[in-house]
Amino acid sequence: MGCVTSTVDEMVFNEPIEGIGDSTVVILGRRHASDYETEFDFIECIADHVVARDSSIEIIDEIEFINTLYPWFEPRTAPLRPADIDRLVQQEPVAQQLANLKLEYMIWVDGSTVQTNSAGSMTCGVGPGGAGCFGFGTWGNASDYEATIWDFTDKAEVGRLNASTSGQSYMPAVVVPIPIIAPVQGTACDGLGDQLLQFLSSEH
Amino acid sequence: MDTATARRLTTAQARSVWGMLALALVFLAGCGTKEVIVSGNFPPPLMEPLPVKLGVWYEPEFEGHEFFDEAKGRAESSWIVKTGEAQVAMWGQLLDNMFAGVTKMDGKPAPEQMNPVVDAVLIPRVDELQYAIPAHTNVKVYEIWMRYAFELVTTNGEPIAEWTMTAYGKTPTAFLQSDEAAVNLAAVVALRDAGAHFITSFHKVPEVAQWLEQLEQERGGVASR
Repeated sequence: MGCVTSTVDEMVFNEPIEGIGDSTVVILGRRHASDYETEFDFIECIADHVVARDSSIEIIDEIEFINTLYPWFEPRTAPLRPADIDRLVQQEPVAQQLANLKLEYMIWVDGSTVQTNSAGSMTCGVGPGGAGCFGFGTWGNASDYEATIWDFTDKAEVGRLNASTSGQSYMPAVVVPIPIIAPVQGTACDGLGDQLLQFLSSEH
Repeated sequence: MDTATARRLTTAQARSVWGMLALALVFLAGCGTKEVIVSGNFPPPLMEPLPVKLGVWYEPEFEGHEFFDEAKGRAESSWIVKTGEAQVAMWGQLLDNMFAGVTKMDGKPAPEQMNPVVDAVLIPRVDELQYAIPAHTNVKVYEIWMRYAFELVTTNGEPIAEWTMTAYGKTPTAFLQSDEAAVNLAAVVALRDAGAHFITSFHKVPEVAQWLEQLEQERGGVASR
């Protein structure tokens, strides 16, 4: 496995001491920028990380939440500031739906994983005797994600967490390519997941 | 030549033929026509319906809307993206939940038409559709962009308002998806965006806002009589 360097920062206020009880949390990706989108599978990864370590925390599935509240959480319409929630809950069906979900925290994750560089070359061929590759390739990945926690009841921002990771992956090939992948996005997921767990869980 | 050598040669030749065939298939995969019949799930909008009885008329071009792009070179594919069925499904779902009553019209509003009693008739059109696939942009992103034109008319076909609106959808997570599946997903995202844009912008079109106000005043007048 390739090497990964990781930096995690946090700044949180009003942490729930007793955990979130029977309230629920939703983790949503930001997708209003034109040049990148926070990946759906990254959001799922964070949610799985938190729930796997404290099963008492109920996290609403992102796609289910977006569909249930269509069209208010589409890239074009999603609230950008906690104050925008007031505008949303002025609509009775929206307020009712959010109350039914018992939503306490809305966590917005903004960022993406990108390929930073690549080098090397590899030649693959198919011949009468079979197929094979020869060469060496290397590439870098970098993840930068920021999670913003909104307290839905108070309609206020109560924390920001940041995870930046980078790593180099390698793929030597003598007949068969052997990828040595640096788990850059996975490390960012673990980093943010752990920080969120500390915020949301009474056991961590 | 003994039988074993003959068998080896035959096997080697066969491998060679299969290898060349595989290469030819890979080469030809870029040619031909790729067809996408857009399909997806469109959730109903969560909102208080507007107190308006709306008629909707889908022109045949809208119901059967498709986009054809001919390949520019031998390495490219032609594309047919059929959005008509998904358009009708999405707009039907959206309008049914956005207005107090919705009637699909059998004919285009005109003075001689026998239309049911509705407050106005909406006629949506797709003016333009553009798409981008990695072969065009060298970026692993599939994009669909659409420009809609809407007409709101009386049951007699007299214009109330005309406006345009854009919609955009992209599929960034195209990894392990076929070109067709990725284009379909981008189209579904674009249709969802169209619905979101329509809901948030409908009452902001000046002529529509004026008409809604007038409608409210007329109803208030009837109620107070």
